[in-house]
Amino acid sequence: MKLFQVRKGQFVYYQNELHKVYAVKPMFKKSVHLIRLRDLTQVLASAPEIERYQPKETDSFIFNKKIFTLSKDRKAEVGDYILITNPNPDILDHYSLNSIEVVEKVESKGVITNEANGILHNEYLLMVPGSHDYSNPIQYKNMEHWAEQDADSETDALFSDLLPAIGDVYQKNDQNSPLETMVVAVHGTTVYLGNGLQVHQNELMDAEKWLFQYNLADQ
Amino acid sequence: MNVKKLKENSVFIISLLLTLIFIAWGAFFTENLTNVTNIIYNASIDYLGWVYIGVTLFLVIFSFYLLFSKYGHIRLGKATDRPDFNTGSWLAMLFGAGMGIGIVYWGVAEPVTHFTTPPYGEAYTIEAANTAMQYTFFHWGLHPWAIYTVIGLALAYFQYNRKFPAAISSVFYPLLGDRIYGPIGKAIDILSVFATVFGIATSLGLGALQVTAGMSAIFDSPDTLTVQLIVIAVATVIYLVSVNSGLEKGIQYLSNSAMIISFAILLLVLIIGPTITIIKLFFNTTGLYLNNFIQMSLRLRPFGEGEWIAAWTLFYWAWWIAWAPFVGMFIARISRGRTVKEFVIGVLIVPTLGTCLWMSIFGGSALEMVVHADNHELAKFITDNVSLAIFTFFEQLPFGSILSILGFALVAIYYITVADTATFVLGMLSEGGTLNPSNKIKMTWGIIQSAVAAVLLLSGGLEVLQTASIAAAFPFAIIMLFICYSLLKGLDKELEVQRRKPRIKDTK
Repeated sequence: MKLFQVRKGQFVYYQNELHKVYAVKPMFKKSVHLIRLRDLTQVLASAPEIERYQPKETDSFIFNKKIFTLSKDRKAEVGDYILITNPNPDILDHYSLNSIEVVEKVESKGVITNEANGILHNEYLLMVPGSHDYSNPIQYKNMEHWAEQDADSETDALFSDLLPAIGDVYQKNDQNSPLETMVVAVHGTTVYLGNGLQVHQNELMDAEKWLFQYNLADQ
Repeated sequence: MNVKKLKENSVFIISLLLTLIFIAWGAFFTENLTNVTNIIYNASIDYLGWVYIGVTLFLVIFSFYLLFSKYGHIRLGKATDRPDFNTGSWLAMLFGAGMGIGIVYWGVAEPVTHFTTPPYGEAYTIEAANTAMQYTFFHWGLHPWAIYTVIGLALAYFQYNRKFPAAISSVFYPLLGDRIYGPIGKAIDILSVFATVFGIATSLGLGALQVTAGMSAIFDSPDTLTVQLIVIAVATVIYLVSVNSGLEKGIQYLSNSAMIISFAILLLVLIIGPTITIIKLFFNTTGLYLNNFIQMSLRLRPFGEGEWIAAWTLFYWAWWIAWAPFVGMFIARISRGRTVKEFVIGVLIVPTLGTCLWMSIFGGSALEMVVHADNHELAKFITDNVSLAIFTFFEQLPFGSILSILGFALVAIYYITVADTATFVLGMLSEGGTLNPSNKIKMTWGIIQSAVAAVLLLSGGLEVLQTASIAAAFPFAIIMLFICYSLLKGLDKELEVQRRKPRIKDTK
C-alpha cells in the first residue's frame, strides 16, 4: 500500500501544472482540494494524482496571472507579496504553510500582513514580480510537454482579464479634453464606450492613449 | 543610539522594573506586603468601591447602546474582510479566554459559599440557595462581558480600521492625537501591562491552587505551598519551551481540546446530575437575575459592613478589569471581519448565556446535594476548601473519578494556554503593539508572571491575590471610561468616512 502525505498549503503538480493544496477532506472521493496558482481556479483531485514540490529561492511561477520570482535578495517593502515557506505562527496568528499574503507594514524583526499576521523575516520568501535569466520556472513540471501545448491560447487566457470588459472605466490620455468613459458593450474586438465612441480593443489597451481607472464591479 | 533604544523599550523596561520591585517586596518583606495589601483592601471597600460599581454598570449600559446604535453595521476591518474563524470556534475561543480557569475554580465553590454566607438573609435556607445562584449569575454574567466588549471592540476598531499598533494607547488617538506615541501613551501602556500582569498572576495563582488540589484528590500528593510552587515552576518551564521551540501550534491544539473537555464535562454533569432541577434553576435564576439586576449592580452598604461586597463583587469587578487588557487584545485578535453588532452579540450576550448555563449546571447540582440532603458538613467543607471544591463535588457523583481526571486535565490545560497566550499579549503590549514580539521579551514575561503568582501565593494565598488585583486594576477602571468616549468618537468618524465614499455597489 502506498501512503500519501498531503498537507494543507503544499505546492503540488497536478496535470503537469503547479497547484496549492488548500484543503484535505478525507471523506471525499476527490479528497485533495487544490487551487491552480496561475488563475486561482479551484480543482478537485485525489492524492495519487498529485506530486509534491517544495518551492525555494529563485523559483518563478505564475500567481493570479502575474509572474513572480521567489527571492531573499532585498528586504520586504509595503505592498510586496510574500510566500510563507517556513511558518512559525505565534499563538494568536493564523497563517499556515505557503500562505501568500501582502505586506502592510515592515518592522525590524518582521512584517505585518494584510491578514493582520506578524511574520518574522526568516519565515517567508519575497515574491518579486517578473522573471529573470537565473530564475527557475516551476509553473510546469515538464516544460517540453508544456511547449507542445497550444501556447497562444494559454497566453490569451493569461491576459484575458486585461482585455476591456463591460464596466471598465477608462480615462483618455489627453490634456486638452479630459474624458472619462465606461465600456458599455464589447462586440468581437470592437469596444463600445459610453459616450458613443467605438474603438478597437488594442487601442484601448494602449497605455499612451487610454488609462484604465477601475471596474465598476470592483468598487 | 543607546538612549534611542532605551526610549523605544521604555514601556517594557519601566513596567518590568515596577513588577520586579513588587516581586522583591513580596519575597523579602512578605509580612509588610500582606499588611499593605490589607490596608489597600480595606480602603478599597470604603473609598473605591463605588468607582468599580459605577464603572462596570456604565459599561453594561454602554455595550447595550452599541448593540442597538447606528454603528451596528460597521465592520471591523476592511469592508471586504470576512471573519478568520467560524462563529462556533470564535465563541469557544473567547469564552475560554474570558473565563477559563475561573469558571472551573468557582463553578461549584461560589454558589455553595454564598449558600453558607449569603449577602443577606439567613444561611442554609432555600432562599439562601436562590440568592446564591442569583449572585453567581450576577458576578459572571453581563458585567464582565460588557467590560470585555468595550475594550475588545475599541482595540479591534483602532487596530483594523484605523491601522494603529495593537496597543492600549492606540485607542486614545481621538483624545490624544499623536501624543499616544509620547509619554502619556507610554504611561497608559505601562498601566495596562501592570494590570495585565496582576490579572494573569491572579488566574495563575488560582490555577496553581487548583492543580495542586486536583493532584491531591486524584494522586494523593500533599496539598501544600511547596507543591503549588513546584506546579508554577513546571508550568513555566513547559510554556517557555513552547515559546522557544515552535510548539505554539501544539498549544493551539491544547486550547481546542480544553473546549471539547469543558463541553463534555458540562454535558456529563447535566445528564448524571439532577437534570430537571438544573433546568428549573436556570430559568428561575435568570428571572431573579433580570429582576434584581439594577439593585444588585448598585448594591453597596453605606450604613453597614461592606465585607461581603468587597470580598465578592468588588473583587470580581477588579479582577475582570485587570483581565480586560489581556482578554481585550485576545478577542480583538480573533474578531477581524465581524461587524459591531455581531461583535456585541458574540461577546456580551452569548457568553453570558454560556456562563449562566455553566453555573446552573455546576452550582445547581452542588446546591441540590447540600440543600436537599441538608448536608451542612459538605457545604462547610467546600467553603473551607475552595480549591478542592470541584473535586469534592465530582466525588459525590457517579463516575466521579473519570470526572475528576477530566477536570484536572481541563485546569492544567487552561493554565498552560492562558500563560502562553499571556506571554504573547504582554510581549505585544510592552513592545508598542507589534505583532512580532521578540522571544526574549516573551520569555521574560513568562518568568515574571509566574514569579508574581508565586510571590502572591507565598505572601498569603488567595486573599492577597484578590487584594492585589483590586489595587492594580483601579487606574484601569478610569481608563475604561475614556475608552468608551474614544470609541464613540472613532465610530462617528467611521460613519463620516463611509458617507463620503460613493456607494456604487448599493445602487446596482
